[in-house]
Amino acid sequence: MNIFSFVTKNALRNKRRAALSILSVAVSLFLFVTLLVAMREITQPPEDVGSSLRIAVRSRVSIADQLPARQLAAIAKIPGVAIVTPFTYFGGKFKDDDGMGFAQFALDPTKMLGIFGEAKIPQDQYDAWLADRTSCIIGKDTAERYGLKIGQKMTLIGTIYPADLELKIAGIYSGTLDDRNCWFHHTYMDEVMEDWGQVGMWWIRAESAEVAPRVIEEINAAFANSANEVRAETERAFQMSFVSMWGNIKMLITSICSVVVFTLVLVSASTMSMAVRERFRELAILKALGFRRRELLAFILAESFGLSMAGGLLGAGGAWLLFSNVNTLKLTGGIFPLFEVTPAMLGLSFLTAAALGIIASIAPAVSVARMSVVEGLKTLD
Amino acid sequence: MGALMPEAAGVDVLHEAPEIVRIRELSKIYQQGDIQVTALHKVSLTIHQGEFLALMGPSGSGKSTLLHIIAGIDRPTSGECRVQDVLVTQLNESQLADWRNQNVGFVFQTFNLIPVLTAAENVEMPLLLTSLPAKRRRELVATSLELVGLGDRRHHLPRQLSGGQEQRVAIARALVTDPRLIVADEPTGNLDSQSAEDVMMILQTLSRQAGKTVIMVTHDPRAAAYGSRSIHLEKGELRP
Repeated sequence: MNIFSFVTKNALRNKRRAALSILSVAVSLFLFVTLLVAMREITQPPEDVGSSLRIAVRSRVSIADQLPARQLAAIAKIPGVAIVTPFTYFGGKFKDDDGMGFAQFALDPTKMLGIFGEAKIPQDQYDAWLADRTSCIIGKDTAERYGLKIGQKMTLIGTIYPADLELKIAGIYSGTLDDRNCWFHHTYMDEVMEDWGQVGMWWIRAESAEVAPRVIEEINAAFANSANEVRAETERAFQMSFVSMWGNIKMLITSICSVVVFTLVLVSASTMSMAVRERFRELAILKALGFRRRELLAFILAESFGLSMAGGLLGAGGAWLLFSNVNTLKLTGGIFPLFEVTPAMLGLSFLTAAALGIIASIAPAVSVARMSVVEGLKTLD
Repeated sequence: MGALMPEAAGVDVLHEAPEIVRIRELSKIYQQGDIQVTALHKVSLTIHQGEFLALMGPSGSGKSTLLHIIAGIDRPTSGECRVQDVLVTQLNESQLADWRNQNVGFVFQTFNLIPVLTAAENVEMPLLLTSLPAKRRRELVATSLELVGLGDRRHHLPRQLSGGQEQRVAIARALVTDPRLIVADEPTGNLDSQSAEDVMMILQTLSRQAGKTVIMVTHDPRAAAYGSRSIHLEKGELRP
């Protein structure tokens, strides 16, 4: 026998309690990791290689306000703008969906791959899309979800605009971070809206990441003090503006995480105190046999630390395994396309588990340190 | 162990042996709320090496307190307790722990074995504090268990042993570090008469043949009869 096996035997002497302790830490740390990932996904949306070049231009007043289509020429001639396309969110309802199934965007299909170059689509399908202004391309996730095939027709019922769209599926794309969207010709949108002369927003690809800040400045300046002032911003800033609409989500999630950890500390400390209180007499015997206070403290700390770390490995490791192997895009209905547990999150979880083990052992360790052998021997089993 | 009768003690011979415990003017006063309880009052006592001393007296007479102070698990309010050349009452907690590990073997009324450890592992516990290699520890454990007649029970858990066997394991644990003193607090209090006799025979043999000094607290005159000397405490004072 050695000290390690002694600590292990003590930790597992009440197997049900040990299992429940480990599980309580595991479940809490699983939740902790899940919240951390969710917060990261919300506050730092995933970026692809083209993110640094893309610029979004929307109405300065509100994203819901339209912009005049005539702004196109003024934007296109700003130095550093490589490509510009109108971009309008249609927000139609497909079948029985409530409009949340997948997003539909009108844009200039000839510019689409230039701006959103990550999308992969066979050339013949892309050509077919270009050739038919009433056609669209859809992401492979949407095609799989609804069983849609090339050549099939789909009807989108307008919920924002007073028009319905009859679209023929010309192709299926993949390879983006969110392969769910439906892309169709902006000219078709203009047609069904009876040449309304407006766009939802503009998307631009800058010639390089270096010129992007200047391009943003010049676009904003070009329409300053006009009837249709714009806000040009990087793709990241544009995404973050949506996050801000959630309110202070970061604080909310941080608060929940803190409550989870705090509750866990209380539960673990209570469990450890109970486990040690039951063994007061044994610990007194060990003291009588010559074990010093620091050795008894080490036993308690090792036991508490071991149980917490086992829970941490199970919970945080389980979260990592689960989220690495399931399609969270499908699981979350498309809310979280990439649900990645980072090494930093795993590290934070293990640190939390370690701190938990140490904190939970403090109260019982103090009571054992204060206990005299004679008092301990008087303790009933 | 056979049902052997206690043999008469060679008191004179023992008194020629060197002193191992010297207690001078030892007092212990407990504070219980506003009341002071005198557990020991100016007790002086000398115990010789190899003696098997039975401490007797009614409940609350201070015999366990005296045993605890000699064994270094309690401290007196005044007076001194010297074991060989060590003034036990002057040692700090850490020094006392080391001293107990090297010099004192404990046997308690309720055995106090650790339930998740086997007999051998329980006996090995005090040796974990030493620098002995694992192989040597295992040899010492085997020897101790053989001495108490439990060589074949080494892998049994305490709940798989009878009360008498548990107490013998506790004696093996007390012996394994080869201490000078063995202190036993009512070692037969929870045992049937046959097991009690076995345990007393082992303690007597340790005293007589191995030269161990055994100090035992007991209420039982039959157990005390195994000792080489009996002393009586009453209201914290020694009675002739």
